[in-house]
Amino acid sequence: MNKEVEHKFIVEFEQNQNIIHKVCRIYTSNQDAHNDLFQEIAIQLWKAYPKFRGESKLSTWMYRIGLNTAITLYRKSKRSIVTQDFDSVLYRIESTSYDDTEEEQLKLMYKAIHQLNDIDKALIFLYLEEINYKEIAETMGISEVNARVRMNRIKTRLKTILNP
Amino acid sequence: MDELEFLKKDWKKQGADFPKLSYNEIYKIIHKKSSSIVKWIFIICIAEFLFWGLITICIPESTFAIYEKFHLKPFLFITQILHYVVVFVFIYLFYKNYKTISVVDNTSLLMKNILKTRQTVNYYVYYNIVLYILLSVILNAVMFSHSDILIENLMPENPNMDTEKFLAINVVVQIILLAVMCGLIWLYYRIIYGILLKKLNRNYKELESLEV
Repeated sequence: MNKEVEHKFIVEFEQNQNIIHKVCRIYTSNQDAHNDLFQEIAIQLWKAYPKFRGESKLSTWMYRIGLNTAITLYRKSKRSIVTQDFDSVLYRIESTSYDDTEEEQLKLMYKAIHQLNDIDKALIFLYLEEINYKEIAETMGISEVNARVRMNRIKTRLKTILNP
Repeated sequence: MDELEFLKKDWKKQGADFPKLSYNEIYKIIHKKSSSIVKWIFIICIAEFLFWGLITICIPESTFAIYEKFHLKPFLFITQILHYVVVFVFIYLFYKNYKTISVVDNTSLLMKNILKTRQTVNYYVYYNIVLYILLSVILNAVMFSHSDILIENLMPENPNMDTEKFLAINVVVQIILLAVMCGLIWLYYRIIYGILLKKLNRNYKELESLEV
């Protein structure tokens, strides 16, 4: 692959890398696993890049490959199993300024998200990224109605956790 | 504020705490080797094609000498030609399916295509097992129906042995060998694909259940 395409890809990736970090945060629970998944997604993006024609937004394209890699292609490496999991949610919230109740609420919600299955994680991820239902349905390959129905169930579940 | 809106707001705020990878770091990462399951499936499938292909090639010529006595050579020759045609068809189908796997497809389609590619090789292995069993049955049926020639060729040094007993032992040994082989293949599939496809199968079922 020629150097020009590679350069363009790296620059664009550098600017949008947070998207991938967010996917990794939702699907992994320790730093090693995070880095591992990040690497695999980056490789998959790069492999697919020469065929990217810009019909869709770069971010949409990245969401799709990121989620596909996390749900379908990625296998945990041994390295990430050995390391002890830490609460990925905790270390982040502490750095922001919330009052105790809010902080507690967020912790509970992130914890609940981590316990969802891979498909539900993808749905909630796209919801948090404010992707519309049509695009969510297209990304996942399900109907828009079913995407809505499932999302409502996830939302209800999260709310119940906060208001039992 | 609605709890989920609150969560969304917090979600958007994140970013500052993510490690920022530099141009050079990204360059290094994208030149590393992928360890995706598609790659593993591809490697294992090629190994399976080679294994089953080599098994037919590696059988020494002398093994076939006995079949000559039963005039089975033309039958085996035709079977072999047909077998190679079938193998090429399988390799073509595998390659065609493998090429349709695209990470840019929607999640459901991607999973379907991976499972379809895998299925091609499953059929290839089933085909080999069925062929092996069929050939064993046909060859044994022909040979045991001419037991005089069989005994003459297999135990020339001990012609006084009880032929009934000899034939019975032979049949039992053949059946045990067949069972052991099928058992090993079954075990292999449980272990290799159990590990490799567990997550994919689980997620695929989950996605399918959404569409019911």
